Amino acid sequence: MPRDYAGLSAGDTISDRTFPVGIDGVEKYVAAVRDESGIFDPSDVQPTVPPMAVATFALRGVLDDLGIPEGTLHVGQEMSFLGAVAVGEELHCKAVISQNAVKTGFRLLAVGMDVRDGDDRQVMTAKSTILVPA
Amino acid sequence: MMDVGMELRSITRLVEQDDISAYAEASGDFNPIHLDVEFAKATRFGGTIAHGMMIAAMLSELMATNFGIDWARSGQVKIRFRSPVRPGETVTAHGKVSRVREEAEGTKLTCSVGIMTDKDEEAITGSATVVFSKCSEK
Repeated sequence: MPRDYAGLSAGDTISDRTFPVGIDGVEKYVAAVRDESGIFDPSDVQPTVPPMAVATFALRGVLDDLGIPEGTLHVGQEMSFLGAVAVGEELHCKAVISQNAVKTGFRLLAVGMDVRDGDDRQVMTAKSTILVPA
Repeated sequence: MMDVGMELRSITRLVEQDDISAYAEASGDFNPIHLDVEFAKATRFGGTIAHGMMIAAMLSELMATNFGIDWARSGQVKIRFRSPVRPGETVTAHGKVSRVREEAEGTKLTCSVGIMTDKDEEAITGSATVVFSKCSEK
């Protein structure tokens, strides 16, 4: 059943989930984007997760929970990386609607994300702006 | 030491459909606009396009290449997706230092950043900030 996007208001929580950041997923991500920055070094005792991988994994859960339809456009993205994340950590992402408005045939949804590690330390905040066909 | 106007070391990459498919697997985003050629042909894009976050990853790589682990500890980025990137296009992540400010934790650098296609289109524009820590400067 399609989600009632019109019924979403600023402040509504749309996703609240925990996800692991395992070595397999990170290696697959790094290979896909061909990241050669050296931030992720699998030979490290505790390899660091590329910050955009954290954002990508967090966003995946949010978009799954939001159930976005085909034709949705991702038009803007803000991210603040607040601490390095080590491979193997389990992260928690809470996503809240910050804006919901209809503009020229599209619904503009802005979603704020707060990502924390197992010690409740904030490791990333983000805001995604998407246009959903109205 | 970085000064205003200094260009960051850029990154250039050919984007191929195989990369897009691999990113779909890695990210879990299987939207047919990225993967299904026949579906994508019928859309206003006329063919498949890369995931925005896949192309944006090059900006993060750009900042990490230039500023190392400080990017993961203090990076901030604000971007707009301006135009799609299609398979077969070569894109370049570029950046320039636009502001330098000394802070207690280190030097805060603001950079204008973007992704330019080989058709001279800006696929992504935005800004990125990083605090280059005092120990990194040594």
